[in-house]
Amino acid sequence: MNKSISVPEKVSSAEQATTGAASGGSSQAALPGSRAIHHRRFSPRRILAIGTNTLTELTRLKVFYFLLFFGMLLIGGSVFLARFSFQQEFQILKDISLGAMSIFSSLLAVIATARLIPQDIEDRTIYSILAKPVPRFEYLLGRLGGVLLLLALTMAAMSVLFLLVLYTREQAVLRETAAQMTNLPADQLNQALQSVRASALNADLFPAIAIIYLKACLLASLTLFVSTFASTNIFTVIVMVFVYFIGHLQATAREYWLHQHGADWITQLFLAVVALVFPDLQAFNLVDEAVLGNVIPIGLFLRIASLGVFYMAVYIALSVVVFSGKEL
Amino acid sequence: MSSAAVSVRSLTKIYPLPFRRGQVRAVRDLNLEIDPGQVYGLLGPNGSGKSTTLKTILGLVWPSSGETRIFGKSSREVASRAEVGFLPENPYFYKYLTAEETLRFFGRLSGLDRKSLPRRIDELLGIVGLTAARKRRLATYSKGMLQRIGLAQAMIHNPRLLVLDEPTAGVDPVGSREICNLILSLKSQGITVLLSSHLLAQAQEICDRVAILAEGILVREGRLEDLISRANQTDVVVENASTEMLSALDDVVNRHGGRLVAHRKSTRTLEELFLEATGGGTEPK
Repeated sequence: MNKSISVPEKVSSAEQATTGAASGGSSQAALPGSRAIHHRRFSPRRILAIGTNTLTELTRLKVFYFLLFFGMLLIGGSVFLARFSFQQEFQILKDISLGAMSIFSSLLAVIATARLIPQDIEDRTIYSILAKPVPRFEYLLGRLGGVLLLLALTMAAMSVLFLLVLYTREQAVLRETAAQMTNLPADQLNQALQSVRASALNADLFPAIAIIYLKACLLASLTLFVSTFASTNIFTVIVMVFVYFIGHLQATAREYWLHQHGADWITQLFLAVVALVFPDLQAFNLVDEAVLGNVIPIGLFLRIASLGVFYMAVYIALSVVVFSGKEL
Repeated sequence: MSSAAVSVRSLTKIYPLPFRRGQVRAVRDLNLEIDPGQVYGLLGPNGSGKSTTLKTILGLVWPSSGETRIFGKSSREVASRAEVGFLPENPYFYKYLTAEETLRFFGRLSGLDRKSLPRRIDELLGIVGLTAARKRRLATYSKGMLQRIGLAQAMIHNPRLLVLDEPTAGVDPVGSREICNLILSLKSQGITVLLSSHLLAQAQEICDRVAILAEGILVREGRLEDLISRANQTDVVVENASTEMLSALDDVVNRHGGRLVAHRKSTRTLEELFLEATGGGTEPK
C-alpha cells in the first residue's frame, strides 16, 4: 500500500510516449521527458469524455431510477386496465404507454440537465475541467450529449417494454379471436385477425416514439440554455415548468387569439416572438395519431423532426454564446 | 514574444455588484513575470486578489483591462492551457468516480491517448500515494486524499506549468511536507510552479520568488532572499559552543566594529518536531 506522496526521481515512462504530437513548440527548451500534446481546436474525443462522464453521473443518481421505475410501472400496468373491446384495449394501452414515455422523458430531460452546470460551478469541478484545454462549447456539447444518451437509453428501455406488452396482448387477442371464430369461413376469420393486427402493433408507433424522444431532447437543450444563466437548479426547473405549460398551451391560445382579435401585424409579431422563445410543444405530439392507428405521413414526420432540430440548434447556439461570456 | 512562463501585464479586474450597487476592484494594475523553472508564490490575505489573478491566468475570468499570457499565448486562447495543470483550492471532483476513473477522465480531456493513459495513471497514483485506493470512489476520500488526487489530475499531461491554489490547505503536516517535496522535485525537473498560499513558512521554504498582494495591489515582489534578508545582519550557527567561546566571539565581534544582536539556543521548527513525534505519519486509507 502506498502511504505517501513519493518524489519522482526521474521522468515517467508514459511521459516518453508521444501522443502523435509534435513536441515543444515553445521558446522554452524541452524539459526532460516533457512533451507537448498537440492541441486540437475541436476534439470529438473530449466531447465524448465529458458525455460519457455525464451519462455515468446521471445513471448513478437515484432520481433516474425512480423516474424509470415509475415510467415502466405505468407502461406495464396499463395491460391490467379495463377493456371493453380489443380496439379500446389497444388504444388505452398505447395512450397510457406513449403518454408515460412522453411525461417521464420530459421530466428526466429537465431534471437531469438542470443540475449539471450549477452543480459543477458550486462544486468547482468546472475549474478543473475548463483549466484543461477544453473549449467551453465542447463542455456544453459533452454535457448535453450525456443527457441525450441517457434519454435514448431510457426511451429504449420504455419502448422495449411497451412493444413487448403490446405484442403479448396482440398475440393473446389473436388467439382468443381465432378460438371464438372457429366456425366462421376462413376469409372472415382472416379479416377479423387482420383487424386485430392493424389496431395493435404497427410501424406508425415508431415515428411517434421518435418524436417523443426529440421533444425530450429539445427540452434538454432549452434547459441547458436556461441553466447557463441560472445560479441554481431549482430556478432552472421552475422556469422549465412554465416553459413546458406555455409550450403546450400556446397553440390553443394562438388559435383563440387569432380567432378573437384577427390577424393584424402586431398580433402576428407577438405570436411569432412567443413561438420563437417558447417552443410549440403541442406540435411534437403524434401520440393521438398513433393511438388511433392513423398513418403518420413521412412528410409530417420530417417537418416536425426538422422543427425540433432547428429549435435545438438555436438553444445550443444561445447556450454557447451565454456560457462563453460567463465568468466562473 | 515574451519567453516568460506566465506574464501578467497591467491586469485590473473589476467585479460589478448586482443591481448596480457599485463594484469591487479585485486586482489593480498588476504586473508579474514568472520565468520558466521557477517556483513562484502569490501571497496575501483573504480577498487580496490571489485567486482572481490565478483564474484570469487560466482564462476562467476575463480581465477588465490588461492581459495575461502563458508561454506567450494569451489566456483567452484555449490552447494556452494545453501545457498547464491546475489544482483549485479545496478541490472537489466527481464523487461517483474512482481515483482511476477521475484520472482517466482528465487525461482524456488533456488529449492523452489510450495507449499512454493507463501507464500514466499508474505512475501518478504511485507518486501521490493512492495506488491502494485507486478503485475507491472519491466520496470516501479524506480531504488530504482529495488534494492528492487533485495534484495527480493537474500533472496528468505532464504540464510545463503547474498552478496550485492553496495546495496544502486542509492537509496534515505530513501530507503538507510531501506536497512541498513534490513541488521541489518538479522544480528540479524544470517545471514552473505558480502557487498561492497562506502558509508563509512553507512558501518561504519552496518559493524562488514571491509577490505579496494586499487589496488587489502588488505591495512587494522579488526574489525571496532579497525580500527577507536583512542586509546588515548575518546568522552564525555554532555547534557545541561553550560560554567561554561565546564570550570570546562577542569580543571578536566588538573588536571588528560589529554588534552581537542576540545569541540563543537553536530551535527546530514545530513541523520538524511534529514529523519526528508522529514518525512521519500516514494518510488513512
